Amino acid sequence: MNDVSRATAGGPARDAPAIAQGRTAGQRTPLIDGVEKVTGRARYTADLPTGETLVGRILRSPIAHGVIRRIDAAAARSIPGVRAVITGEDFAAPYGVIPIARNEWPLARGKVRHRGEPVAAVAAIDEASVEAALAAIVLDIEPLPAYFSAAAARAANAVQLHENKPGNIEREVDQAFGDVDAGFAAADLVRERTFHYAEVAHGQIELNAAVATYEPERDRLTTHSVTQVPYYLHLTLARCLGMDSSQIRVVKPFVGGGFGHRVEPLNFELVTAALARAAGGTVKTELSREDGFLTHRGRPETDIRLKLGMKKSGAITAVDCEIVQRGGAYGGYGLVTILYAGALLHALYKVPAVRYRGYRVYTNTPPCGAMRGHGAVDARHAFESLLDIMAGELGLDPFAARRANLIVPPYRTLNDLQVNSYGIPDCLDWVERASGWKTRRGKLPRGRGLGLACSHYVSGSAKPVHWSGEPHAVINLKLDFDGGITILTGAADIGQGSSTLLAQVVAEVLSVPLARIRVIAADSALTPKDNGSYSSRVSFMVGNAAIRAAQEMKRVLVTAAAKRLEVHPEDIEWNGDHCRVAGTDRTLDFAGAVDAALVDTGTLTVKGSWSTPPETQGGKFRGAAVGSTAGFSYAAQVVEVVVDEDTGAVAVERVWVAHDCGFAINPLAVEGQVQGAVWMGMGQALSEETQYHEGLPLRPNMLDYRVPTIVESPPIEVKLVESRDPLGPFGAKEASEGALHSFAPALANAICDAIGIRLTDLPASPDRVLEAIQARKRRERLRASIGVSAQPDPERH
Amino acid sequence: MERMPQFDLRRPASIAEAAALLAAEPGARLLAGGTDLLPKMRRGIERPPVLVDLGAVRDISRIDYADAGLALGAGVTLSQLAMDGRIVHHHRAIAEAARSVAGPGHRSAATIGGNLCLDTRCVFYNQSEWWRATNHYCLKLGGDVCHVAPQGSHCHAAFCGDLAPALLVLGASVELCASRGARVIPLSDLYRDDGVAHLTLEPDEVLVRVLVPARSPALVSGYRKARARGAIDFPLAGVACAVVARNGVLAELKVALTGTNSRPILLTGTEALVGRVIDEATLSALGKLVQKQASPMRTTVTQSNYRRQVAAALAQRLVCELAGYEPSAARASMS
Repeated sequence: MNDVSRATAGGPARDAPAIAQGRTAGQRTPLIDGVEKVTGRARYTADLPTGETLVGRILRSPIAHGVIRRIDAAAARSIPGVRAVITGEDFAAPYGVIPIARNEWPLARGKVRHRGEPVAAVAAIDEASVEAALAAIVLDIEPLPAYFSAAAARAANAVQLHENKPGNIEREVDQAFGDVDAGFAAADLVRERTFHYAEVAHGQIELNAAVATYEPERDRLTTHSVTQVPYYLHLTLARCLGMDSSQIRVVKPFVGGGFGHRVEPLNFELVTAALARAAGGTVKTELSREDGFLTHRGRPETDIRLKLGMKKSGAITAVDCEIVQRGGAYGGYGLVTILYAGALLHALYKVPAVRYRGYRVYTNTPPCGAMRGHGAVDARHAFESLLDIMAGELGLDPFAARRANLIVPPYRTLNDLQVNSYGIPDCLDWVERASGWKTRRGKLPRGRGLGLACSHYVSGSAKPVHWSGEPHAVINLKLDFDGGITILTGAADIGQGSSTLLAQVVAEVLSVPLARIRVIAADSALTPKDNGSYSSRVSFMVGNAAIRAAQEMKRVLVTAAAKRLEVHPEDIEWNGDHCRVAGTDRTLDFAGAVDAALVDTGTLTVKGSWSTPPETQGGKFRGAAVGSTAGFSYAAQVVEVVVDEDTGAVAVERVWVAHDCGFAINPLAVEGQVQGAVWMGMGQALSEETQYHEGLPLRPNMLDYRVPTIVESPPIEVKLVESRDPLGPFGAKEASEGALHSFAPALANAICDAIGIRLTDLPASPDRVLEAIQARKRRERLRASIGVSAQPDPERH
Repeated sequence: MERMPQFDLRRPASIAEAAALLAAEPGARLLAGGTDLLPKMRRGIERPPVLVDLGAVRDISRIDYADAGLALGAGVTLSQLAMDGRIVHHHRAIAEAARSVAGPGHRSAATIGGNLCLDTRCVFYNQSEWWRATNHYCLKLGGDVCHVAPQGSHCHAAFCGDLAPALLVLGASVELCASRGARVIPLSDLYRDDGVAHLTLEPDEVLVRVLVPARSPALVSGYRKARARGAIDFPLAGVACAVVARNGVLAELKVALTGTNSRPILLTGTEALVGRVIDEATLSALGKLVQKQASPMRTTVTQSNYRRQVAAALAQRLVCELAGYEPSAARASMS
């Protein structure tokens, strides 16, 4: 397999310019749309001026699981001011982002499967009419037994949520690579542990909202929404409304964060459009924070059983893992999540044998979905925790345990993932040095500890959700008489800085100042299709397309300048604002080059596109596409904690994180993204969790869903490691997710270093930590009372 | 969005006028900082037809010092309390409690009167109209079952104001004005142990001043708050202590709790610890007192047992801090 990988792993991508430190790429660049955001001029979906607009509102099921016998909307329709009342019967088809798992209706049809599921919707001239209409809708739902945990849903006699899914198993994964039994037999130490992870949600600041305008005269629909995936929304609108996609326009305005909540089309977007059509006008639907938690799509509650075999050197000999995810009521990205958990579990290291079993379970809770670090976060915690436990037993330093398992690129992992660049060794070296690990660890006062963990993530899924044979990314560039260059891209900037990055890339290739460039993004009437902002694909894929588009534009300009200067193109020294005939002082300025280029052709439009090379698209086994990518990012981090043993409070004092982003096209933005990833990992690790009372979310607000505040935010020292991926744009890779996964295990390892207690549950909230401390005290008292000599807890090392 | 329902807004110029409005308009509610009331209105928990805004009433935001003690107008904001140099110096528990509330935005609007009259809270109550309807409401509002303790007939919603325990350990009283006259009662008499109706205020009574008696300069006080995050959160348990310690002996001790019961409680039995040397045994006895009288129920998303234990730990730690006692390396036992 390694031979194949060497043969197929690319050298530097064809045509991609080698770049050390560019004029624009590699420079710390404030986001080009930052001014609008900090001054409040930016218009988000709910802020858009819309003229005469109806108020849209959704009625939600109070029942967790039941058969819809009747929805009587007659009284609601007769209320003055009400313009439309719709139900599931008003849609043409069910939806779901994964083509083989389209089992959700925008408004429930036949059955409801979780409390808060949309069942009907109203558009009316004002709030009062909407509320009166919602109150007048009569729901007749016959309750069925409801299941709020994976175990309950999997029980022998449980009623099925979906007809075609016996046992309420949405997806069962059973994968084995290498000789697992032989791997364990060859190990010097084998350990097995179980872990439990609470469900978490995205907590994006901007509330959900959509505005849809339907023109009955033309049968046309325009939708503005908070989406991360305008193209998938476009396809889904056409499907669910039964409209021709050419009659639909989707626009993504400024978006205030996604984190995966919006990487699939969501019911309120489809409902708003259907209301607009039914009412024959414009409808705006604004959702509450509670609505967001009912829509959910976060990281599932997860149980993990993990077994590792290890040599005395720290080398891993085998991995055996079982993961169960409580997926919620509908498919969404669920099967991808359970596959990611297995695919990225071990591919961070050189591992000779792996067995993975995964179960994605349907339950009567809001559907889970993709969330930053998709699928791989909880599994990473389990893996890195067990690595530390075993290293401790073998007397190995945690760094040594990681270094014993490093990959040398190019390398093909057991599960056929292609690794072309691998910055983990540099990441480890830096965090070890920066944290003072060698001199400080083991010498800190009780209650203070250091912990290490590593992680990785994809730079875009190598196979898109809808495999159409089209390129993975397309960029159009327009240049006209005014000398302005317009980037037309479908890529959705949701705050991560993709529009700025694309402007930098084009400016770099063309050697023009950033000021010459405008970005028009994510309007299906203007911009080329883009698959959207998910799986950290945009920098890598759209960045590569932008390089190619800019190279094409440069070729046209150089050719035109050469013609104007009556020399061969290869005699032109291109310097952006001026070009020169080599060895002479004959020059042409940029305006002159543009004039020359427009002769006979007029307005210039060029295109660049990019696709993942086939060898990066994964193996042939079932589910092999998930986890495959053209480039993996890598991270290592050391977390320093102080644990208060009286209250169970864990304070994160400092974080040192090194992230291998290949090449930082915008170091300022990359540092921010890495800090954001660490911080979000900290939220899950310390305090965030959803909780249900008979299927009703108990924490559907930002008071009880405890996202950390600035008070909890530690100094996060970021080191960018640049491994120059051969396929990445200028060598760049993913920068927004990979550092998330390693926070929680680094924290758990640090807590163990501080107080000798191994937490196998997340979050490490004060009550859980205190309970663990007291459980140890009880164990110690018991030991003392039965006369066993006091021994240090085996976890302490 | 959860939108604000309609209401009439009145802006009286005096407390007497405000009390008269309350007497005349059944269901009218006082509005000061609004940090408790307005979110509840957005959630449909409160639907007052009339809001009586105290913003135009003069002289209710004053902090007065006299030989007899401290007088705090009901409209004094939490940020005023947190920043006032004399309060920080002489009545530290008040400043610490005020500083621990929510975040700077809330503290600049929220008032001492509002904080003392804060509604009790429960995870089954502080939810949207749809949520509570779906859950068939509860004993505190609109229903006949307490989801915290379904067998009982008692509402267990917890009082979560931070200032009350600080003022209780300092022996504060409150001045109440109604249209027919005024009265001064000990702060502890403002509350009763009932999650539905925890305030003893008459419907037309307005809390106008808080009076804190002058105390011995040797008395030191403080407030500690357990919560999941260092800002925003209501207390899972809050503990105020006032201590006079001489040569390692407790000469005076008052302890009060919030967040654990339907009313703030001034711990009984602390006088038994007065005269004792501050040591592990004394601290252990204090911990037992707290654990016995704190009765947190499942009103928050965090387990009630944790809230009881952490209340005891905070009380022990705070007494040590105030008395200048260094607990042994083994630290105060919590069990």
